[in-house]
Amino acid sequence: MEDIIKIDRLFKAFGEVKAVQDLSFRVKTGELFAFLGVNGAGKSTTINILCGQLSKDGGKVEIDGTDLDKNVNKIKGILGVVFQDSVLDKALSVYDNLQSRAALYDITGERFQKRLAELSQLLDFGNLLKRPVGKLSGGQRRRIDIARALLHSPKILVLDEPTTGLDPQTRKLLWNVISRLRQEESMTVFLTTHYMEEAAEADYVVILDSGKIAAEGTPLELKNTYTGDFVTLYGVDELAVKDLGVAYTALRDAFRLQVSNTAQATELIVKHPHIFTDYEITKGKMDDVFLNVTGKKLEGGGGNAENLD
Amino acid sequence: MLKILIKRNVKLFFKDKGMFLTALITPAILLVLYATFLGNVYRDSFTMNLPETVKLPEKLLDGLVGGQLISSLLAVSCVTVAFCSNFLMVQDKAIGTIKDLRISPVKASTLSLSYYIAALISTLLICLVATGLCLGYLAATGWYLSVSDVLYLLLDVVLLVLFGTALSSVINLFLSSQGQISAVGTIVSSGYGFICGAYMPISSFSPGLQKVISFLPGTYGTALTRNHAMRGALAEMETEGIPAKLIEELKDALDCNLYFFEKQVRLPAMYGILVATIIILIAVYILLNQFQNKRSR
Repeated sequence: MEDIIKIDRLFKAFGEVKAVQDLSFRVKTGELFAFLGVNGAGKSTTINILCGQLSKDGGKVEIDGTDLDKNVNKIKGILGVVFQDSVLDKALSVYDNLQSRAALYDITGERFQKRLAELSQLLDFGNLLKRPVGKLSGGQRRRIDIARALLHSPKILVLDEPTTGLDPQTRKLLWNVISRLRQEESMTVFLTTHYMEEAAEADYVVILDSGKIAAEGTPLELKNTYTGDFVTLYGVDELAVKDLGVAYTALRDAFRLQVSNTAQATELIVKHPHIFTDYEITKGKMDDVFLNVTGKKLEGGGGNAENLD
Repeated sequence: MLKILIKRNVKLFFKDKGMFLTALITPAILLVLYATFLGNVYRDSFTMNLPETVKLPEKLLDGLVGGQLISSLLAVSCVTVAFCSNFLMVQDKAIGTIKDLRISPVKASTLSLSYYIAALISTLLICLVATGLCLGYLAATGWYLSVSDVLYLLLDVVLLVLFGTALSSVINLFLSSQGQISAVGTIVSSGYGFICGAYMPISSFSPGLQKVISFLPGTYGTALTRNHAMRGALAEMETEGIPAKLIEELKDALDCNLYFFEKQVRLPAMYGILVATIIILIAVYILLNQFQNKRSR
């Protein structure tokens, strides 16, 4: 797979505040790329630079083979962005909103009608076309935001915390649509989220802390590097668990042992087969990765971070 | 693309009741002032200095007061409505919609032009309807206008709308928050009526203030509408036997005659000032846009 986004040594400062420092990463075509970090970590600054909304102080950004400094309009034409907060015109109908935004990409007349029909079917909003955007529910509005971002069939879809505050049904619909677009159109998805279960589905994850990359890799690589494995042991008494000599947490009907990796878990099981009669081994979660990497906890959906240092 | 963006902007202005009603505050204040006391004050001032032998017909007095009312109303509305309709460009910045527009490959100049043309269309629509209503009012109270007066009045309204839109485009370019919209909206709505001579004739201000106001191009717009809205009624006064000298004095008092450092400014010069100001303001708006675009890059 080719790199569709190449960022090399990106710098951006606002006065004394260094928002992004020496940031370099790659995003491959068609992958789901998760960009994680607490508020103020530099995610939005990076996205704004990628989208041509903010000038950079240094570094190079290349998207789909085009240098951002040389042809920002070409790049804008291949990016679709779903903002954290809906920025459509609340007083206008869904139809008027989409029509005016499609015109920005020279999609008018029959081309617009055709694309509108495709998107209203994909996102199931045909019955909302005449309603003012301001009178839609949060979930309905999000579907229209996504339709707006997809109007020009972008190669890259930037999702800035797209599911924050959404009900589970709309979240599911949204992810189904995104999966379908990735499969059928090889669309690259650049995601920022506070939901770690969404980040766990990503092909590649970059964790940003204070404007720098704190960790990167596939979710599996990150889990293997930054968290251990967990063995949940059933049907034993605490004394036996204590004798194993590993850290554990007592659950309602089991004990959760923390081991550094799967090899250590295997070693324990082989050594104490009489204790390990009913058990399961699980990897650490992305929440644990984030916590271990940054020392901070991402609050799901709320957008706030709690510093655990 | 430009057409659809203009359509969006015009629709948003008319759907936003807050912006639309704010635009009508100044004309509403003016109507209340005339209905409560200004009408009577002017009516008395028209008759006070007349020779005892002359008695003007009621219809002519109504025509004079009505002419003054509609000229003030139109002069002030063309500018205040333009400001309010042009606030959309600020509101887009304040609520973040501009991000959604600028994320696309649309040229910044196209966006700026769409705001300008949309504000022009919205303001023209409102002001031409207002002109129609004003002429209807004059027809019902005292009609002394010729066809050329009406055509000139329409030209004045169009020029004042162009002036108001250009001026508001330049000022609004520097605003970016709802608070600034409220502040500028309040200042323009309450202040413009005074400085353009709509609430009180400029001739009633102190000489120093009159000199300052003579530098403001909007003043000449008010004078143009006043000349064309009152010409017929003033001519009828002459027919009724009022001495020409007295009518000239009345024209001075009503701001039909304006003076720039004691020198009378004739109507063609007033048009010249207004047109030149419009051209300069549009040029400044284009230059400011180019400067801002370069800076953001």
